[in-house]
Amino acid sequence: MKRVLRRLAWAAFVMWATVSVAFLVNNALPSDPARMVAGQQAPPAAVEKIRKQLGLDQPLRVQYVLFLRRLVHLGPSSIAGPSDPEHGSCANLGALHVDLGRSYQQQRPVTTILAERAPRTLLLAFTAAIVQALIGVTAGVIAAVKKRKTADRVAVGLSLLGVSAPTFVIGLLLQWVFAFKLRLFPIDGYGNTTAEHAASLVLPAVTLGVFGAAYYTRIVRDEMIGELSHDYVRTARAKGLGKAAVVVRHALRNATMPIVTIFGLEVGTLVGGAIITESVFRWPGIGSLSVNAMLDRDGPVIMGCVVVTSAVVVLSTLAVDLAYVILDPRVRRG
Amino acid sequence: MNRGGVITSARATFSRLSGGRSAGVNGTARAGLVLVGFLVVFAIVGPIVAPNDPYTSDFARGVTPEHLPIGPSAEFWLGTDRLFRDVFARLAAGARVSLVIGIASTVIATVIGSIVGMLAGWYEGRWLDTVLMRAVDVGLAFPFLLIVMALGAALERTTAATIFLTLGFTGWLGIARIVRSKTLQVRSLDYVLAAQSLGQSTPRILLRHVLPNISGPIVVIGTILVAQMILAESVLSYLGAGIAPPTPTWGHMLFEGQDYLGAAPWITAAPGVAILLSVLGFNLLGEGLRDALDPRKS
Repeated sequence: MKRVLRRLAWAAFVMWATVSVAFLVNNALPSDPARMVAGQQAPPAAVEKIRKQLGLDQPLRVQYVLFLRRLVHLGPSSIAGPSDPEHGSCANLGALHVDLGRSYQQQRPVTTILAERAPRTLLLAFTAAIVQALIGVTAGVIAAVKKRKTADRVAVGLSLLGVSAPTFVIGLLLQWVFAFKLRLFPIDGYGNTTAEHAASLVLPAVTLGVFGAAYYTRIVRDEMIGELSHDYVRTARAKGLGKAAVVVRHALRNATMPIVTIFGLEVGTLVGGAIITESVFRWPGIGSLSVNAMLDRDGPVIMGCVVVTSAVVVLSTLAVDLAYVILDPRVRRG
Repeated sequence: MNRGGVITSARATFSRLSGGRSAGVNGTARAGLVLVGFLVVFAIVGPIVAPNDPYTSDFARGVTPEHLPIGPSAEFWLGTDRLFRDVFARLAAGARVSLVIGIASTVIATVIGSIVGMLAGWYEGRWLDTVLMRAVDVGLAFPFLLIVMALGAALERTTAATIFLTLGFTGWLGIARIVRSKTLQVRSLDYVLAAQSLGQSTPRILLRHVLPNISGPIVVIGTILVAQMILAESVLSYLGAGIAPPTPTWGHMLFEGQDYLGAAPWITAAPGVAILLSVLGFNLLGEGLRDALDPRKS
């Protein structure tokens, strides 16, 4: 229990540290947010007024404290809407408010923009994860069973190619083959209807899944080769179980734990891959949002993206660690 | 002083490679060596033999009657891009950029990662180890791509030097972890204890006894890291946060070609294949070296 609490405190610390570093880096960006909000033609007086409104005339540490205080705070359980003077840019769960300010470019609350985009990235990442698991586990098991035969060599070779192939090169290749030549799927974008969303999802999801699929093939293969060499496999075979049953029901089940662990630890890679994939396919999620915000120097949106992505990474490693504590008695005691 | 040790162990690695026990190990490393060698030769010779200038638009010969980029031909070996510049010349110039950034940033990251990892491993459990490794944990949780992009954006105009410094100073975290665990393995071996009891200073032991004996894994990670750095550079320039145009970079060439995917696929294909083969080459070389160092894995 003490261990779990320490782990939670550490996760909170990591979140705070990343957000603070992001705040500092963000502040070093050469841009004038007040000018950006006021518009290029605005008179100097109007720019100064907005600078004061945004609190940008304050010293950096005051801005920092203000940012952290607004990030998570308590407020009324119902917000009047974006026009609310005090909590207009908040998202709330009951009395618990999260405020990331307003986008300099769009003037809308960052929380609203993120809430609009996050489900699309989640959908993309989830589909890619399924692609990864299906291809990776199937190919890995086949390679392990056919160790050192042609099927194994092909699987290992393809997985090395898949690990080395950059996400955007795969994306452009798929665009060329399946969108330009075969015209099976839309080249990019998100579409307007559910059917269009689904069609637009295929190429980016496969693109994002290739690296993981290749990576899992290798991990699953190595794990399975280890499991298949154990005595219990020979015993199960000797008592007359079919080869397929032994492989799937005995060996694969024992190899599940390390595979799940790696899955949790690779969420960060998936997040990084999503940034590139979304840019190639103009998929309107968090990834393309963060790239555009960076190029536009839209500070609050950048901060919002950093908060969301680092939260996802921290929470997934936390989940893996806690799963270990719960599942493995040796770790629990240690 | 310590150089003798590092070189000897690297030489042992290579002799084991060329002596080779199994065809698989040899094949992997050799394929990697061929690809990497090809990349190096291309980066050195390519810009010299390229028949056209990488920066000049050729409106006379590089354009089709429909005002589109011209395909691969005797005059333009890999065709022209959307501004009618020679794709081959740009690819060759981009190879120099990729290779220089890949190697320079890897050297920086490897040096920092090795120092941090050795110190943390040597002082395991003490405050220095705790501080260093906790910092690594925080760094690994940070969205790497975002911070590199932010640093690039903060520097107004990005040059090759700013990119490899940024990549080098942010890319050492993984190495530090591995070097730490290797140092832990070596630390309590007899020859280290002997050196300690002879009264040798800690820096001297780290340099003369620990470093030479963990240099194998460091060479392996370093080789694979070059691939990751080349990839990171191309991602940055693809997303518009890399070296400022018109300097040719493979990533930006991909970006420029994307709108012409249907009409002129060679603009995208050339840098795409180049990035793939470079990354594959360094990965294969690293894998081959690892197998040669660890006979159990082969």
